[in-house]
Amino acid sequence: MATKSGNLKLDALTKEFGNSAEKVVAVRELTLTINPGEFVTLLGPSGCGKTTALRMIAGFETPTKGRVLLDGEDLSYATPDRRPMGMVFQSYALFPHMTVFDNVAYGLRVKKLSAGEIKKAVGEVLDSMSLSHLANRAPNQLSGGQQQRVALARAMVVRPKVLLFDEPLSNLDAKLRAQMRVEIRSIQRRLGITSIFVTHDQDEAMSLSDRIVVMRNAVVEQVGTPDEIYRRPSSVFVADFIGRSNFLEVESAARAKAGKAKIVVSGRKIEVAAQSSALSSNKPVLLVRPESITVTAAKGKGTKVGKGEGKVTNVVFYGNHVEYTLETDEGVIIAVESDPLYDDIVPVGKIARYSFPADRAWLLPSDSTHAMKEDRK
Amino acid sequence: MSTKARGGKYDIFTKLALVLVLIIVGFLIVLPLLNILVYSSQPSGSAIVKGSFSDIVTRNIIWNTVKLGLTVAALGTLLGFIMAYTQARVEFRGKKILHIINLVPIISPPFAFATAIIVLFGRSGMITRGIFDWRPTLYGYPGLVLVLTLSFFPIAYMNLLGMLRSLDPALDEAGASLGANKWRIFRTVTLPLLIPGFAGSFLLLFIESIADLANPLIIGGSYTVLASRAYMAINGDYDISLAAGYSLLLLLPALLVFLIQRYWAQKKSVISVTGKPSGRPTVVTSKVARTFLLTVTGLLTGLILLIYATVVLGAFVQIIGVNNEFTLSHFQYLLGGFANGAIKTTTTLALIATPLSGIFGMLIAWLVVRKVRRGSEALDFLGMLGIAVPGTVIGIGYAITYNDPVKIAGVTVFPQVAGGAALIGGSIAIIMVYIIRSSPAGQRSGIAMLQQIDPAIEEASASLGAAGGKTFRLVTLPLISGAFLSGLMYAFAHSMTTLSPIIFLVTPDTSILTQKILAEADQGRYGNVFALCCILIMLIMIIGGLINLLVRRTQVSIDRPMVTGR
Repeated sequence: MATKSGNLKLDALTKEFGNSAEKVVAVRELTLTINPGEFVTLLGPSGCGKTTALRMIAGFETPTKGRVLLDGEDLSYATPDRRPMGMVFQSYALFPHMTVFDNVAYGLRVKKLSAGEIKKAVGEVLDSMSLSHLANRAPNQLSGGQQQRVALARAMVVRPKVLLFDEPLSNLDAKLRAQMRVEIRSIQRRLGITSIFVTHDQDEAMSLSDRIVVMRNAVVEQVGTPDEIYRRPSSVFVADFIGRSNFLEVESAARAKAGKAKIVVSGRKIEVAAQSSALSSNKPVLLVRPESITVTAAKGKGTKVGKGEGKVTNVVFYGNHVEYTLETDEGVIIAVESDPLYDDIVPVGKIARYSFPADRAWLLPSDSTHAMKEDRK
Repeated sequence: MSTKARGGKYDIFTKLALVLVLIIVGFLIVLPLLNILVYSSQPSGSAIVKGSFSDIVTRNIIWNTVKLGLTVAALGTLLGFIMAYTQARVEFRGKKILHIINLVPIISPPFAFATAIIVLFGRSGMITRGIFDWRPTLYGYPGLVLVLTLSFFPIAYMNLLGMLRSLDPALDEAGASLGANKWRIFRTVTLPLLIPGFAGSFLLLFIESIADLANPLIIGGSYTVLASRAYMAINGDYDISLAAGYSLLLLLPALLVFLIQRYWAQKKSVISVTGKPSGRPTVVTSKVARTFLLTVTGLLTGLILLIYATVVLGAFVQIIGVNNEFTLSHFQYLLGGFANGAIKTTTTLALIATPLSGIFGMLIAWLVVRKVRRGSEALDFLGMLGIAVPGTVIGIGYAITYNDPVKIAGVTVFPQVAGGAALIGGSIAIIMVYIIRSSPAGQRSGIAMLQQIDPAIEEASASLGAAGGKTFRLVTLPLISGAFLSGLMYAFAHSMTTLSPIIFLVTPDTSILTQKILAEADQGRYGNVFALCCILIMLIMIIGGLINLLVRRTQVSIDRPMVTGR
């Protein structure tokens, strides 16, 4: 029965703070349909409105305009206790005066379940999260990862239709974070609970989500699968926020067949995939991810930098990959070579050739390109 | 993120709590204050208010009050700072005991200090005359400054000690690594960071000392201040309007300074409490500085001990300094009938008021921190009025308001609760005063406690299905129970020792211990005064200790990871 419920619709959800004189729009007309069992991440730099959006869904903030619909029921103005949703907080928010067992049992006690039912349900969920041996501990006797698990168990045990996560992993160290990511995703898949996850960490978003909602300055910038967001970002901002990017200056660009453009870049004439409005922008830029760029030494050359070449200004050897910084006529280019052979590494100061396959490039409109970099966290 | 949900409507529990708080504040403090305004506009009162600058007598009283306030505030802040700095930055044995001794004056009964000082340092003082054959006149300004400074410096001490301890030691270390020596760091880092603390302490001490009534009555002599003049207007001139006039003159500066202290000085604080101070605070090692700090600290602590020794000794001898023969006659007299009623009544009324004031203070704290969005500062201020308004003014306001039933358009909305003919002999008015005077302390500690608790904890409860009232009962209240119960301790001690508002409300049926002490001190029967002080201290210690036991049993330990926000 839990599998087919949990259809969440956000309809032009808007939140304004402040009075009429000094109004700040935190979320502007967020419209989104989340399917039952889907895992959706709200991703964006701090202050983009993602947390406010989540808190409106949870009921901690009242929308200024718009609606929150769960399985067709309008919950926009319902108090949090009336919403069949569970929330996992960034600070975990475990009740410090209760044991692990009592924390997890809290929601069931509020629902007035019998002691027997509570014991059974709490026991099961603690078991499934390997927390049983900690049932009688106080929260402050637990490690960060254990507290995180208890918080998740507490939110899940009431069988919510929607699970909400407010940057729940940001207080954990890197290793534990990666481990919890896997754990959260596998539990969520098993139970099929619709989930909304807020984060500013792109790795988290990429590894967890069915779909990612990239937000910026209170509005949705793009909605898509991790692959779409990475390969076909809708704007320079999204490209820059997700992963690392090179934006190459394009010498000329002309329409080719549907979705393609003929361009001249680094002295090469190539045909690349293009975003729909890329060609109407007066100066489109070409997105090429660092791992798509191949760097080879330009043999027998002095210090003159030609087309498709750059001067190596920095080389960092990471073991499994090497990272180059090149100064080129098209701007600074970052390139990553995986599994490098020592002898092939081009040293600092030398001239290198760079190239990339045309099918790895993506033409974007240039709107105020590099000012965006400052938005990054 | 904000600590409370913004926008949207209040739930029903919040609305009820808010209405209840406003009604209680209305009757317990706002209405009596409004009546002070009304009565002070009648002829004799308005003559005083209007003549406050032109009339030489009134002007003198005002100047006396301000002069006393400024002197005590300056000296008390200085002493408090020296004690706090010694406590925080000098290594020596007996630190903890010293700390407790420094705090004791806060809950000491009125008159204990004044009478002991007279006995020790007065015209026939055991020390002044007995040792140095010197016969100084203590009555008036010098005696008041001495007694009030000793009574109130602990406020500055606590304030500044808290600030000193929250200073990040890394600041000192940064200064040292940049080449500054300790004296330079003290001048350029420590002192500037403490300026808001100095300002806050100064203003608090100013309010406390201009509001004090007990000491001016005993040791003031012909040095009249506004509080004692207002008292005389009731007990000598029998002119309510006149009393209201003086009350208004006292109320205005007190409220003004209180507002400055709360909403300006505190916001100026630049100290950021990181929660994880790194390193250890630097310790004073300079011989000169150590000697100076320890000498001042030692002298002051010695003086406090001497005063308490005098109180205890004085209770058990015939006439201390004159006839030092051991006797139990004071206690026999007091417990043989003279004070029995007062002991019983005072303790009963204080015990009734204590939990009520605790709950009331907590409720306001919760509303201020978590619930009320617009106007939370105003609500906080209303709750603090009970301590911001001088006790004398509250007492006179109550006497005006509650010696008759309160009527609106001929309908009684509040019965007569003060005066001999009132319900239960006027006990209700006294309980009301106890509540409104003590709840601000609970409110303050509740606010501090709540601000430390991550609001997400309450949100977690709501999202698990617990509505407003349920969350407050199951989560919020247990978490703030520590602050709640320590608030109760204070409320009880404070109620037992409060005098200035009570003087105006005692009736033959409700005699109160502090008022008995005043009567005995007035008659110069110091033996009885000391014995009564001892009884009062014993009562506070025994009952306070019981409350403390209760605290230990129910207190929840809240440790680091739980209360941190982001």
